[in-house]
Amino acid sequence: MLDWVWAVLLTGGGVALTLYGVRNRMDPTRTVRRLVAASVGIGTSVALGWGALVDEKLRGTAAGVTVAVVVSGVLFVGANLWFDQAESRWRRFGAITGAVVGLAVGTVLVGNRVLAWKPTPDLDLTPWLIVVATVAGAVFGYVFTGVEGRRARLVTAVAFGVTYGALVGVFIRPDVFPAMKIVPLLAWPAAGAAIFGGLSARRRHHVARRAVLGATSGWLVGAWLIPVLGAGTRAEAMSGATFLVLGFMVWLALAPPAGPERQRIVAERSRAVIFLAPALVFVGATLVIPTIRTLYLSFLGPRGEEFVGLANYVDIFTDDEIVKLDKWRGIFTSSLLYWGVGLTLAGIVIGRVLGKRTGRTFEPSGGSITPISLGVFLFVWAVFAYLRGTIFNNLWWVFTVTIVSTAAGLAIAVLADRARYESVAKSIIFMPMAISFVGAGIIWRFMYIARPPSKDQTGVLNALWVGLGRLSNSGTPKLWAAALLVALVAALGWMAWRGWRGGAGGVVAGAVVTALGVVWILYRLLGPGLGGFEIGPNGEVIADTILFIQETPFNNVWLMVVLIWIETGFTMVIFSAAIKAVPAELIEASKVDGATEAQTFWRVTVPQIAPTIGVVVTTLIVLVMKVFDIVKVMTNGNFDTQVLANEMWQRAFTEFNFGLGSALAVLLFVSVLPIMYLNIRRMQKEAA
Amino acid sequence: MATATPGFVRETAEPSIGWRLYRLLRAIPTWTLWGLVVVWSIPTLGLLVNSFRDRDAQRTSGWWTGFADVGSFTLQNYRDVLGSGPTGGLWDALLNSFAIAIPATVIPIAFAAFAAYAFAWIDFRGREWLFIGTVSLLAIPLQVALIPLLQLYSGGARWTLPFVDKTVALFPDLDLAGSVTAVWLTHTGFALPFAIFLLHNYIAGLPRDVFESALIDGADHFKIFWRLVVPLSVPVLAAFAIFQFLWTWNDYLVALTMIGGNREALPATVAIASLAGEFALRENLLTAGAFVQTVVPIAVFFALQRYFVRGILAGSVKG
Repeated sequence: MLDWVWAVLLTGGGVALTLYGVRNRMDPTRTVRRLVAASVGIGTSVALGWGALVDEKLRGTAAGVTVAVVVSGVLFVGANLWFDQAESRWRRFGAITGAVVGLAVGTVLVGNRVLAWKPTPDLDLTPWLIVVATVAGAVFGYVFTGVEGRRARLVTAVAFGVTYGALVGVFIRPDVFPAMKIVPLLAWPAAGAAIFGGLSARRRHHVARRAVLGATSGWLVGAWLIPVLGAGTRAEAMSGATFLVLGFMVWLALAPPAGPERQRIVAERSRAVIFLAPALVFVGATLVIPTIRTLYLSFLGPRGEEFVGLANYVDIFTDDEIVKLDKWRGIFTSSLLYWGVGLTLAGIVIGRVLGKRTGRTFEPSGGSITPISLGVFLFVWAVFAYLRGTIFNNLWWVFTVTIVSTAAGLAIAVLADRARYESVAKSIIFMPMAISFVGAGIIWRFMYIARPPSKDQTGVLNALWVGLGRLSNSGTPKLWAAALLVALVAALGWMAWRGWRGGAGGVVAGAVVTALGVVWILYRLLGPGLGGFEIGPNGEVIADTILFIQETPFNNVWLMVVLIWIETGFTMVIFSAAIKAVPAELIEASKVDGATEAQTFWRVTVPQIAPTIGVVVTTLIVLVMKVFDIVKVMTNGNFDTQVLANEMWQRAFTEFNFGLGSALAVLLFVSVLPIMYLNIRRMQKEAA
Repeated sequence: MATATPGFVRETAEPSIGWRLYRLLRAIPTWTLWGLVVVWSIPTLGLLVNSFRDRDAQRTSGWWTGFADVGSFTLQNYRDVLGSGPTGGLWDALLNSFAIAIPATVIPIAFAAFAAYAFAWIDFRGREWLFIGTVSLLAIPLQVALIPLLQLYSGGARWTLPFVDKTVALFPDLDLAGSVTAVWLTHTGFALPFAIFLLHNYIAGLPRDVFESALIDGADHFKIFWRLVVPLSVPVLAAFAIFQFLWTWNDYLVALTMIGGNREALPATVAIASLAGEFALRENLLTAGAFVQTVVPIAVFFALQRYFVRGILAGSVKG
């Protein structure tokens, strides 16, 4: 039966929604499009309906989703209808409000095991007390809003207060009977009345009413919070409850009677609350309170029992897995360092030589900035390759992924701009954005996979690597490859010469640097060999694979490649939009003034899109700082690839050290805070 | 177009061999672009091809050799991974993903739209500060809230009153840990600051006279919201919906934390990640599994690319 209900519901609902959507929203001039959309929608609905017939899990899913969505919708619409009554039907509004308050009070009291209803030892009717409370609240609300005149209201309130208070007292569980003491019982209400009444006496406003509220609050403290619970008698419990309810109701009765003006204000003010409450309740419960609690937990021990001060934070920075400095001397023997310094020097030299003509050494389009940036980049890599541990690893991630993704995205956006089939190229590069980090991690595991050297390599990268090794140990193919490289060098040289004559420094530098790279490859190919291979004892060629995921420290870089692969699409799309927004007149003007394309790009386009670059960089920093999924799936932090988010997860949820986990989370929070502050400031400026 | 500038007249005036070679080299950017496109698509393509090859083929030869033997392609991996056998279960995981992603998309949109409307068009005291406070919550990384939330779901919340040593239950122990409900509740909360910010920008920008004339006609906020604001905000609602759906569909951290070891409730990301944990054992199924998990967002991507891009651009600032 249930399966049929869901089948009909899912099919019918889907078809109706599709038809509604197609009729209303789709482009009316495109019949084919509408037909396709309609058939996809109807097909999906029919498939869902059929699935609900045969698959129990699907039914359960549909039920869960429907209940979740419908309940939230009904609550919201219900709240609006409730307060719609305030203006026109005051008594109905009173009844509903009373019912809601009764429901809330009943739920809290029953939920905290204050009330119990067991007519016989076997029969537990306690949950029904919530219904009783709801009905009682509705009755009170309906009667009370109908009573006119101050004296009549007061009498009604006292009558209901005594009745309801006694009723509550009857159902109080014996183990919460309070053992009252006379001093707090008198002192607290007196103090409450004095404080509340005194505060409003200064404004000469509702003094008596506030005093009653203060006395009632004081009674709550003196009669229920101070005494030892469970040691008292039923009489104490009943009086404790009665005076509490009575005080609250007298407070209500002392309010000025609700005229039409007040009713309108209630209806008006409630709107903001109704519209905001769902969101604020969720945000408070899932973000605000947990954040405060995490901060608190980070000062406690592993199980949250004892206060340890800053010990967790000290542990983070003294843990030799989180901060590993023992290999720092390696920085100075690292070949990365030499390449970095070499490239930086080369850049300066190029800049000096080419700059003689323009008078500017550090001209972005002049070919000096690129080698210098690359040199600095490698220099930083050299540092990170030897300063190990979670924190430096995380910084290495942030540095590398942010810079490479930004640069690559910008480059691709420029290359694709006004190219043929631009949108196709951009779609393909953007597509990884749709793939989950987990999926991307798996996809790249297959790229990085290394098989035993005697077998064929099934991962693309190792196949290429080993293939290069075989090529440099072959006969004729090796010569062909060499010939190709020589031709490439010649072409590049010719290009550099053209560039030199045309005064395009960037072209010269680019061509020369590329040519040098190609020459180096040529040398490796003809000389010591290129790619992964070893020569066996009998002179045979043996494959020598790279264990991309295991070989530390550069396995980190191979993991970063995954994130770069994903995020470059994102940066490209943003830069592409920004570049297209640069006014065409500016570009035209610089061309007319005789600027080369490179000069136009660096001097006109880049300054124009500088704010966008800022957005992209800050966004990426925050995103990369929190990288988790890729590391978790590909290495789980093994092989020296740990990052902060995974460290936090492991400490908290596999070792159940909540104190240290919380401290790591707070560290993560603090490290993204400055950037997020900038981001939010900027967003608010843009919105304003 | 900017290419029709005087500097390019030479292209037709000097058709020598050298010039042609130069033009060939000038086309290097285009070659580079398409080279990058190829490089970018290789990983996904490799996964797709491999998912149609059986275990032996995957283990002994690269996927690129599969094109030589298209006849041996098989759907067995998909059958195994989706089926009910010991290797399967991804079908259930996909349903769990929907059970998480749909409420976690619909409910935040509704709640955020209400709140954004209130922040934009209802006057109340402290509006400015409340809005700034809400948006500032964007700065909180997910990780910061995970431990308390898991404790909340698995044991409820209790508060011991200071000085008097009485404990009050604030949230009942509903035993939510390990259920999809815990996951979408979490996503709903985390999505709201960003959603409110995004929708507020849009809704606050709607023309004021629309609201004023509606108010004069006697419409209340509830009517204005449904009849005016929602229809006018469809583009931004769609953009956010797509962003949020993909975010929750592709989420791993929240699901892994909240669901833990409950195999009944695993969404697809966690399911394929645990399949990846047994890498050597069932790697042939991993290809199909990863592709099945990926195919939903890819379909959304190609079907709704325009909204998708808008959503991603808008969502890029999410904390």
